[in-house]
Amino acid sequence: MRSGEHAGDGAPAPPPVSATRPVLVALAVLVVVTLAATAIGPADLSLATVARVVAGHVGLHLPGRVSAIDQAIVWQIRLPRVVLGGLVGAMLALGGASYQGVFRNPLADPYLLGVAAGAGLGATIAIVSASRATYLLPLAAFAGGVVAVSLTYLVGARANGYATSASIILAGVAVAAVFTALQTNIQQQHAADLQPVYSWILGSLSVATWSDVRLIVPYVALSTVVLLGHRRLLDVLRVGEEEATSLGVDPRRVRLTVVAAATLGTAAAVSVSGLVGFVGIIVPHVVRLTTNASYRVVLPVSLISGASFLILADLGARMLDAPAEIPLGVVTAFIGGPFFIFVLRSRRSRQGTL
Amino acid sequence: MRALRVALASAVATVGLALATSAGGAGARPAWPVTVRAANGAITIAHQPTRIMSLSPTATEMLYAIGAGSQVTAVDKYSNYPAGTPRTSLDGYSLNAEAVARYRPDLIILAYDPPALAAQLATLHIPVIYDPAAPTLAVAYHQYLGLGEATGHLAGARAEVARLRVRVAAIVRTAPHVPAGTTYYYELDPTYYTVTSATFVGQLLSMLGLHSIADAGGTHVSGGYPQLTAESILQANPSIILLADHGCCQATPASVAARPGWSALSAVAAGRIYVVSDSLASRWGPRVTLLLQAVASDLRRAFG
Amino acid sequence: MSALELRGLAVSYDGVAALCGIDYALAPGTWLGLIGANGAGKSTLLRALVRLVAYQGTVRVGGAEVARLSRRRLAQQVAFVPQTPELPREMRAIDYVALGRTPYLGYFAAERPADRRVGHELLARLGLDALAERPVGALSGGEVQRLVLARALAQEAPVLLLDEPTSALDLGRRVEALELVDQLRAERGLTVVAAMHDLTLAGQFATEVALLDHGRLVRTGTPDAVLTDAELGRYFGASVRVLRDDDGDLVVVPRRQRGGPS
Ligand SMILES: Nc1ncnc2c1ncn2[C@@H]1O[C@H](COP(=O)(O)OP(=O)(O)O)[C@@H](O)[C@H]1O
Ligand SMILES: [Mg+2]
Repeated sequence: MRSGEHAGDGAPAPPPVSATRPVLVALAVLVVVTLAATAIGPADLSLATVARVVAGHVGLHLPGRVSAIDQAIVWQIRLPRVVLGGLVGAMLALGGASYQGVFRNPLADPYLLGVAAGAGLGATIAIVSASRATYLLPLAAFAGGVVAVSLTYLVGARANGYATSASIILAGVAVAAVFTALQTNIQQQHAADLQPVYSWILGSLSVATWSDVRLIVPYVALSTVVLLGHRRLLDVLRVGEEEATSLGVDPRRVRLTVVAAATLGTAAAVSVSGLVGFVGIIVPHVVRLTTNASYRVVLPVSLISGASFLILADLGARMLDAPAEIPLGVVTAFIGGPFFIFVLRSRRSRQGTL
Repeated sequence: MRALRVALASAVATVGLALATSAGGAGARPAWPVTVRAANGAITIAHQPTRIMSLSPTATEMLYAIGAGSQVTAVDKYSNYPAGTPRTSLDGYSLNAEAVARYRPDLIILAYDPPALAAQLATLHIPVIYDPAAPTLAVAYHQYLGLGEATGHLAGARAEVARLRVRVAAIVRTAPHVPAGTTYYYELDPTYYTVTSATFVGQLLSMLGLHSIADAGGTHVSGGYPQLTAESILQANPSIILLADHGCCQATPASVAARPGWSALSAVAAGRIYVVSDSLASRWGPRVTLLLQAVASDLRRAFG
Repeated sequence: MSALELRGLAVSYDGVAALCGIDYALAPGTWLGLIGANGAGKSTLLRALVRLVAYQGTVRVGGAEVARLSRRRLAQQVAFVPQTPELPREMRAIDYVALGRTPYLGYFAAERPADRRVGHELLARLGLDALAERPVGALSGGEVQRLVLARALAQEAPVLLLDEPTSALDLGRRVEALELVDQLRAERGLTVVAAMHDLTLAGQFATEVALLDHGRLVRTGTPDAVLTDAELGRYFGASVRVLRDDDGDLVVVPRRQRGGPS
């Protein structure tokens, strides 16, 4: 009866859902995008200059001199921005894919459960009450996001004794509405302080530094490990709560763990980037449509492609109106929207269905 | 339209003449009603207002400067200058016609027109003058005259405009000569929003011979208030940095110097980073001279 | 030792009893056909056995008390095929079958080659090997039925629960599907508990039948003993006639009541 007894007979089994190829392709794209975003910027530095600076920081020494300003531009301004964009994009896309899996709803996104609304409220409170301490903003946004999601979970679970996907999503919508209302109200009372709140809501990597990178790396790393660890369980959940339960999985435990991990990572990401929309829905969808619906593929490929997507979008934010900046959220919507429609349409005409 | 303007001009001339003949005495009364032009069109005011409500901190400063202060009975919560204004908890950005009407004003001045508020107030038959942020000194002077006429203080308004013209000219004349091509980065907030030379502040700074580093992208980009990339600020390497975000966001010369990569800037190395009072910098009233004066003395320290 | 043993099993939904006082013991290798009118409690009983509903009383599988087993251990002991399984339409057939290996994998673990092999062999055994790479959504009703069965078999559990396994199939496929279950039962020594609404098929495949009525077990025994005109007429509220076909198999046919219901 045990699997061992069957070893050796029959044709070789088809390989398990393989993420290798899509992951390699996505990695190749990420490398190209990262190199491009490092080489290109509103300060038109030569490739040689950029290469010299980067090489100098990884222990190589290329001949030639670089001015202090160019040094600073490449190493202190441009690179942290590229790296932070990659981390934030990876986290938002992975978080989005995970929420979609756990709620079995393709429109679920990192903001659905109130993460955005909570983070927005936290940021607003920080800005209006302790405007002298801008360093509090990420912390406050993070705390707000976590509080909102916890509340969503409590409310969703109380509604009928235990939490179902639908009750949690509904609770999320309600909590988000209340938090957004509170935030709008506070904003109205402090009209003079609006500007920082608005720019945070639009999302931006304009002030990215290595310390932002250091700030979020632990959360993103932890969240990524936990979420990727759940990739097969998310596939099991695709047969529904009851059948997953009869397969020995506790769907509530999976959901709680995945939601906690995705929220932690997402809240950390938006605390430094502001509310960058679209990544969490667009990237996993495109990945699903172009590769495979299995979370064993969708999660890792979304992670990598999310990084590429946001690095590219931020390159657009820096370059399209140089030397001025375009809000990142605007760029992601502008690139993401049409690209999404394109993929959706070409896929549909090929398959006749979604 | 043209006929109206001509009529207006002649009205102004008549009033001016009347004021001139009565030597600006307190007893001088223009013939009411008067019609003034503001951003919301021509406004007719039937009687000299005695219950003015200013929901614009700049207009409040202007009204007091031209001698209409005693007619002002309510101002918004940001109207903190001059001291002793009748401040209320009203916020010019979020208003409701009823809350405004409660004060029974006979003239309302707005710098921000919330959707439909002016129309609502019109149904209450309260005249509203809408004087939004002035893009140039000339427009600010024009607003002065309009307020003077509307409140019965045209002479005071004329005198104030004349004082400002003289004072601005004097500051510009005595300001240190900056080297040709001196550039500035004027920080509105810590995410690098700034001004181009096309803005009100930008024009004041142009008078002192300074150029905004944001002009490179076109002076009218983003309404003159673009958000720059850190990279382009570094590459532009401005001669001086002016911080208008000390009040809002605690930016200081030290905190700017400590930003990663910014130590490479020559303004940082030479210590040419100065704090500009945001409450001065965001208003276009009587205290523009203080702003101009402050920057002029910063320049003296920088290049003197 | 019994493969499955129920003692005083009771389930209630919001205080309303759906099952009460069920006592039953099943020897390994038997096929128990659960019969009863709609709403009698057949599904509830099956769901209680895999702890999808809370119950009172004791349930033992292979001697172990179900309530004390972890979900994983329970899934290694009892496999459950619901009446209308939720199908992930884009999932490949082979990946779907391999989900049955979940109870043998660690929380974060991936499938091992041995797990894939189990899935593949089951597909071959159930005549689906040509469809391994097909998405589940592109399979016919009969193929899906076999696929779901394959997933349950991949759990390699000694007890297999089926809730009305043939209700979605046309006449020809029904017998085929039950025949397959019967063969697998014989090959693997499975104990099968199936809720069956087709009494003829219950009579032909089950080794024992249990008749449920309003949550109570009212008759148990061999099909011959339970499936009689009198019993069925009483508990199904309809007039039926139990016949024997040429091979001596039971055939249950409903009879129209002339003159209409009184
Ligand atoms: N989730 C539920 N909540 C409340 N009552 C239920 C639920 N499921 C089943 N019932 C009730 O329990 C009884 C038994 O149902 P069920 O086990 O589905 O019967 P069967 O499968 O024999 O048709 C019925 O009266 C049904 O209405
Ligand atoms: Mg049923």
